[in-house]
Amino acid sequence: MTVKVLGISGSPHRHGNTETLLDSFLDGAKAAGASVEKVVLKDLSYSPCRGCNACHKDGECVVKDDAIVLFEKILSSDCIAVASPIYTMGITAELKGFIDRGQYLWARKFILKTLFFSVEHIKRHKGLFISTAGQSWDHVFDGAFPAISAIFNGTGFEYYDNIIANNMDEFKGIKNHPTALREAFEKGQKVISVIERLNRP
Amino acid sequence: MPIKVLAFAGSPRRHGNSEILLDWVLDSLMGDPDVTIEKIPLTEADVNPCRGCNACEKLNKCIQRDGMDSIHDKIVEADCIILSSPIFCMGLAAQVKALVDRAQVFRSRKYVLKLPIVPQERMGKRLGIFLATAGQNWPHVFDAAVPSVKCFFHVIEVKDADISYLMINAIDERGAIEHHPSAKTDAEKLGRSVITDLKKRLAA
Repeated sequence: MTVKVLGISGSPHRHGNTETLLDSFLDGAKAAGASVEKVVLKDLSYSPCRGCNACHKDGECVVKDDAIVLFEKILSSDCIAVASPIYTMGITAELKGFIDRGQYLWARKFILKTLFFSVEHIKRHKGLFISTAGQSWDHVFDGAFPAISAIFNGTGFEYYDNIIANNMDEFKGIKNHPTALREAFEKGQKVISVIERLNRP
Repeated sequence: MPIKVLAFAGSPRRHGNSEILLDWVLDSLMGDPDVTIEKIPLTEADVNPCRGCNACEKLNKCIQRDGMDSIHDKIVEADCIILSSPIFCMGLAAQVKALVDRAQVFRSRKYVLKLPIVPQERMGKRLGIFLATAGQNWPHVFDAAVPSVKCFFHVIEVKDADISYLMINAIDERGAIEHHPSAKTDAEKLGRSVITDLKKRLAA
């Protein structure tokens, strides 16, 4: 069975450092035989979570837009790569806006108890975070990880790995980074073989 | 002397817990004739996310025309800037993150164009307050929000040491903060102490 990989690009600007790194990961996955799709958040139409908590009653979001379609797509994927540059020590407002919309899944899991992911399911579904930052600080990604954990937890994915590269301002772009693009490609290949092994009967 | 307070109610939901917390701080300042308060609910502010185009590094302003235009000037003029946000998915609400990211124009001004954010005589005389509420009871539930908040205040020329925090966890249901044993008192105390501090600094 072909492994389905979904890349989600959370950058407001096209083909920048983060999306290029995501592309390299997806190329690696494709080379390993996966079917690959990339969704660019800026091309979708969705609004941030309103915090209305209506989903706590019936597990449905009252806002019907592209965010829900994308969450459904995530739920039918074997591997997701969520990508965002670091802005102001966190993920972009676009990606945060999307992640916050996952509240309806949280409500299904924890309030209504209509959604459950088994340990086995989670192990077979791998999530990766892909990011770049201008800053050279090692801790520049720390504020992003918890929101990424939140989306992986909510959608039944194991937080499998990070592909992150800081100091972009110094390198003058991801293409000049000594290892990041190759690392992303190799991790793309690797994760597919890992998932295939786990899915073997 | 006049003191300008600029407060952002960052929640997408009006009059919820984080806004109640903000209102308690603001109420404690209302009686002071020197203080003028402007409260901006982000639900009405029309602030789009940053596009990451970096044009502000050259133009010294944002290429987007939206609610941020007037907010920009208000941020420069204010003596005290208050930001309130609920915690969604372990971080700032997306609406607040959009505001924080749009402060990129200040970062460009400060670090790329090497221009002042406020005149020299107002340096060190600006204070910030971050207010947050979270449904989760984990003590670390605010950890991911704080670095973004520090960045925001840093680029608008409010030093780390000049930011006060009041962050209340385990506040889930609408209005639950009303039942918190100390939040109201702490909020009022915080408001008063920040204004006392500001008066001292502005008089110096």
